[in-house]
Amino acid sequence: MFRAIVDNIKGLWSLIVGLSITGRFFFSPVKTVHYPRQVVDPESLASYRGPLELVPADDVGGSKCVSCQMCVRACPGNCLTVIKGKEGKAPETYLYDFTLCCLCAACVESCPTSAIRFSHNVYLTARTREELHMDLLADLKARAAKASQ
Amino acid sequence: MDLSITSLAQIIIACLMVIGLMVANAVVMVYFERKTAGFIQRRPGPYEVGPRGTIQAICDSMKLLGKQLFIPGNVDWLLYFLAPVLAFFPVLLLFLPIPFGKFLTAMSVDEGILLILAFSGLGVISNILAGWSSNNKYGLLGAARAVSQSIAYEIPMIMSLLAVIFLSGSLNLSQIVEEQGSWPWQWNICVQPLAFFIYLVSLVGETNRAPFDLPEAESELTAGFHTEYSGMGFALFFLSEYANMLLVSFVCVTFFLGGWKGPFLDGFWWTFIKAYLIMMFIVWLRWTFPRVRFDQLLNINWKWLLPLSILNLWITAIVVKLL
Repeated sequence: MFRAIVDNIKGLWSLIVGLSITGRFFFSPVKTVHYPRQVVDPESLASYRGPLELVPADDVGGSKCVSCQMCVRACPGNCLTVIKGKEGKAPETYLYDFTLCCLCAACVESCPTSAIRFSHNVYLTARTREELHMDLLADLKARAAKASQ
Repeated sequence: MDLSITSLAQIIIACLMVIGLMVANAVVMVYFERKTAGFIQRRPGPYEVGPRGTIQAICDSMKLLGKQLFIPGNVDWLLYFLAPVLAFFPVLLLFLPIPFGKFLTAMSVDEGILLILAFSGLGVISNILAGWSSNNKYGLLGAARAVSQSIAYEIPMIMSLLAVIFLSGSLNLSQIVEEQGSWPWQWNICVQPLAFFIYLVSLVGETNRAPFDLPEAESELTAGFHTEYSGMGFALFFLSEYANMLLVSFVCVTFFLGGWKGPFLDGFWWTFIKAYLIMMFIVWLRWTFPRVRFDQLLNINWKWLLPLSILNLWITAIVVKLL
């Protein structure tokens, strides 16, 4: 009986502690942003795993990829298609099906040249399935062109 | 109390004003509640509709008005429509004996608190009818919970009010306010702190608010007794829920916090300021504590609140007799 009373008084005290925490949060500034007008600081997105992208090797859209097919073999969802070009080791085609990707990073870990990484694109939207079938080489070139402007 | 034409007109005008108060209260409280929820969870809450989301609640109620009144199959048709009306109308009556100001009472009856306690039971009947007539398992479970919870929490509530009634020797709410002074240390809360605490806990249980919102526990029963209601049926339940919250806050203010009396200048504004502070506290509780389990809910009541309120009543009776 005595123990139960002590427990209840402790419980009541914990209620006051909880109220003080929410009371403090009520007056502290909000953590979220009004999305269309404001966006999140890009640095805080650094740990976000967006769709894959190729790492640029130079400024004109060249890739570090050597077409070794390690990423294709490592991928559990078979979402990568890499075709080697006629000259050298650089790939001719690098297709990526985001609808099948489970963002497991097996390709990123298996890549011997660190040619592939996750992007931090949280704003990706698509209306059709085809928009998620991405051509990563074209994407790399577009980014290089955008950076050079 | 005379039943002349003037007193009848007074009651009708008071009822209309109470309807206005109920609707305004629901609109303001919905906005306030959602904003509070937002700020406690470190987000802005409603923001887009109107300046800082101020007309969000009005837009939501317009949407409710325009919605289809969907009647599920196999409902008990009469009771299904009676339940929301029965939830709404007794609340009108409950506001009549509340002294908002010195002369601002719709109907000053000698047994004011008895009237409030008696008719607030009708709200539970509407919950049972709603849950049972909608022929839905969640509705029925919610109704069963509402009944056992209301029966449980009404007893310590009445006991704690009875302690104050012992002190003032009257059931008339205006009389109870008259007995208290203007300054906080002259209020009944200083004489009866335990009764105030018990009342505060049981008013949360009585109005089915979190952490005691078992009858409409969203994660367990979808929406409890009003699962099958849409459109205006749901709106009436919603309105009466907020009106009940306001009512128990007014009763709390009248009994423990000096009613319309306050420092510097007595007047109806003190009633409203104090009542809305209690409402804010209830909202604060809701967004702080998780929902209790049903057996815990009843344990709190039968094992702690009831013995404490009996003890409090007993001590009060002895002290009143001796002094």
